[in-house]
Amino acid sequence: VIAQIRAATLLGVDADPVVVEAYVSSGLPSFTLVGRGDPVCREAKERVRAALASVGCTWPQGRITVNLAPTVQPKVGSALDLAIAVALLLASEQLPPTAAVGLAFLGELGLDGRLRSIAGMVPLAEVCGPRVVVPAEQFAEADVVEGVEPIAATELAEVVACLRGDRPWPDPPPPQRRPAAPRTPDLADVRGQPVARKALEVAAAGGHHLFLSGPPGTGKTMLAERLPGLLPDLTPGEALEVTKVHSAAGLLGGRGLLTRPPFEAPHPTASTIALVGGGSAALRPGAISLAHRGVLFLDELGEHQPASLDALRQPLESGIVRVHRAKGFVTFPAQVLLVGAMNPCPCGDGAPGRCRCRPSARARYERRLSGPLLDRFDLRLHVARPDAVDLLGAPPGECSADVAARVAVARAIARGRGVAGNAQLPGAALDRVAPLTPGAARYLADLLRRGRLSARGLHRLRRVALTLLDLDGRHPPVEEDDVGLALGLRVEPVALERAS
Amino acid sequence: VTSDAALGGTALDGTAPARAALAGLSGLPGMGPNALTALLRGRSPQEAWAAVCDGRPLADPAVAAHLGRQPVERAADWTQRARRTDLHQVGAAHRAANVRLLMAGDDDGPERLDGDPEPPAVLCVRGHLDGLERPTCGIVGTRSCTPDGRRVAYALGRDLAAAGVSIVSGLALGIDAAAHRGCLAAEPSLAGGGGAPVGVVAAGLDCVYPPSHAELYRHVAESGVLLSEAPLGTRPDRWRFPARNRLIAALSDIVVVVESPSRGGSLHTVESALARSREVAAVPGPVLSAASEGSNRLLADGAMVVRGADDVLMALGLCAAGRVLGPGGARAVRDAVAARGPDAVATYHAVGTTPTTLESVVTGSGLDFGRAMTALQHLAAAGLVDDVGGYWSRAGRPA
Repeated sequence: VIAQIRAATLLGVDADPVVVEAYVSSGLPSFTLVGRGDPVCREAKERVRAALASVGCTWPQGRITVNLAPTVQPKVGSALDLAIAVALLLASEQLPPTAAVGLAFLGELGLDGRLRSIAGMVPLAEVCGPRVVVPAEQFAEADVVEGVEPIAATELAEVVACLRGDRPWPDPPPPQRRPAAPRTPDLADVRGQPVARKALEVAAAGGHHLFLSGPPGTGKTMLAERLPGLLPDLTPGEALEVTKVHSAAGLLGGRGLLTRPPFEAPHPTASTIALVGGGSAALRPGAISLAHRGVLFLDELGEHQPASLDALRQPLESGIVRVHRAKGFVTFPAQVLLVGAMNPCPCGDGAPGRCRCRPSARARYERRLSGPLLDRFDLRLHVARPDAVDLLGAPPGECSADVAARVAVARAIARGRGVAGNAQLPGAALDRVAPLTPGAARYLADLLRRGRLSARGLHRLRRVALTLLDLDGRHPPVEEDDVGLALGLRVEPVALERAS
Repeated sequence: VTSDAALGGTALDGTAPARAALAGLSGLPGMGPNALTALLRGRSPQEAWAAVCDGRPLADPAVAAHLGRQPVERAADWTQRARRTDLHQVGAAHRAANVRLLMAGDDDGPERLDGDPEPPAVLCVRGHLDGLERPTCGIVGTRSCTPDGRRVAYALGRDLAAAGVSIVSGLALGIDAAAHRGCLAAEPSLAGGGGAPVGVVAAGLDCVYPPSHAELYRHVAESGVLLSEAPLGTRPDRWRFPARNRLIAALSDIVVVVESPSRGGSLHTVESALARSREVAAVPGPVLSAASEGSNRLLADGAMVVRGADDVLMALGLCAAGRVLGPGGARAVRDAVAARGPDAVATYHAVGTTPTTLESVVTGSGLDFGRAMTALQHLAAAGLVDDVGGYWSRAGRPA
């Protein structure tokens, strides 16, 4: 008998269907697994043998061939264990021939027959559906996808019993009360710092990348952590994208659909692969993909490897990461709101007249950021230590919910222009959607002439000015003062030798 | 030690080979003015060059004393380098680049170097030396200066040059460059009775340092003169800067320190100036500004206070009246700010005199971000405040 069992394997953050075929013929006992399984996948033989024995089934006597079709597609990980076990039981006629019709199987097997969770359940279940047997602890993950009716099982014995018809498939577990999402930090905790607060609001409303420069201890991290709380809830489509990425990275931990924008803060020592994704065996999404539709916070930007930062440039532009392999490529989603933070100079103070760095050391420090990367930040500002008065006496600042309400309105206006945020407006569209008053046009022309603004900076400035307008509830044209405000939020890096 | 002794005591032949030999010697690694002086004692430049080529500098104890901590290696280094150098080419290269090789005893050499304790054996000159016939003022200071420091240096350079004082400086980043830019902007120029820029640099005149100053070098050579002890092709080695600083002091009638941190090259220039009994002056800076720590200490130690060009002119005996930069403009500034409304007044007040972050300005003004930023932009448009790299400061006087 040739058994055929449906399952799936992960490629990046997407899954491909796999059919596990098993055939037992007479001959000397042997086991061959073909079909481009990776080492972990090929070790299934030992896990399945032990698991079958521990639940009272027998390992088929004879020449066993297991084929993972389609054979061109590499198979990674242990997700096929359960499917291989079921295929062997069918092929050796320990199960009725039609027992597995209409079912797919996903899960790793323990030696004692227990079902263990696997990375990528969400995309895997999506291609296996509608009826797929999954480890009970991942029921919530598999249940995320519309149209999939997962069947939760805790061990192989239970699966075998249900397949033999000894007992019915278990009912779906009662919807568990979701563990309360960890409270996102609130903007009310930030005392003083009116400019930084405004910059956060503008970043959230327009999707503008934000660069914070300031001495240690001025709350750069504190500010960045509060940015996701200002963003609107993910739409159902976005939520599924985000959940799939986190599932593929094995980070979902039994949670169901993620509905809030994620926040990722990779350490400066993170490798390029950890940042943008890839890897030799299993292709894993990097931090920029884990932050998809959320905030990617790169603290100590100057300490990151220059090569890693340069690798971020293309994904920031296109919103996707392409990992090329000898055969084709894999794409990961990577639409992030980037927040970069850095000390202004090695000594940390930075202000002219107070900085104690040698000019060469300071220039070297500034050079660590390539111009093109720095140029991606629409908003750039210095964060100053808040006043003692602000820290101790002042009432709490405006809370995240109030700011988020204004952000939601601005985002709705941007959607009316056909983009998720003003930062994505094409330069060509600016004259149409964000016309300038004659005064504002003169002001910009003057900035360009004085070299205070580059041609590329001009578009970025106009987009930020438009977001300021949207937040105020005003309509275009953009006025002179809006340009001035936007300019104040986009500090030029210190030019050492500006003419006196 | 007199300059005659420095040049060997032998009858000076001003021939091209002698000049080329001096240039070749001066370009050797670690060949400071004192070592060169010792080497030239009792030898003509060509004889000294031959001695180096033959590997004999160690034989003379007076020379060996200047060879540093590793005399054998240093002497071998000289010999190796000298043997690779063709003096004919050195001379030809300087002629081709329009660089004169000046040696003491030349009629048109700078008079201020006569009797100097550490005179240069040779000076590479591009431009004309007429500016050094005028009174001279050295303007020095830190490379990482504040916008205020840059403004003061620029104004000093401009106003002193307009009054006929030549400006001596090192063409470094920061204060040096600002002073010379001011000098270049002055009316009238040298021909009309104004001062000229005198740039004294450490490296060869073709090794522009910092490289971003190539254009400034060109302008200084056109309107005044560029000087270096090092021949063409010499890199800006560290040890050459203190030697360059002593030349700035030697060529200046007065040395003004605009901004200097507690340690730095400007203070070395000051020491050299004091050793030569030149007047030393400093521009007072905010007591909290690290960039003014050294210059303020000079004032506390008794250096002359410079508030503007008139203070320098008085010290040089060129100006009798006490008209200086500063308080006179205060009322005009106050009126100009007040005319721009209460937001402008509050914001201007918050900006203060030392560079401040936007965050502190907005917080200090008590206004919301939008109003404070708008007021700031209006003040900036009127030239009343200025920002460099996001740090705001008062511009001092209305534009």
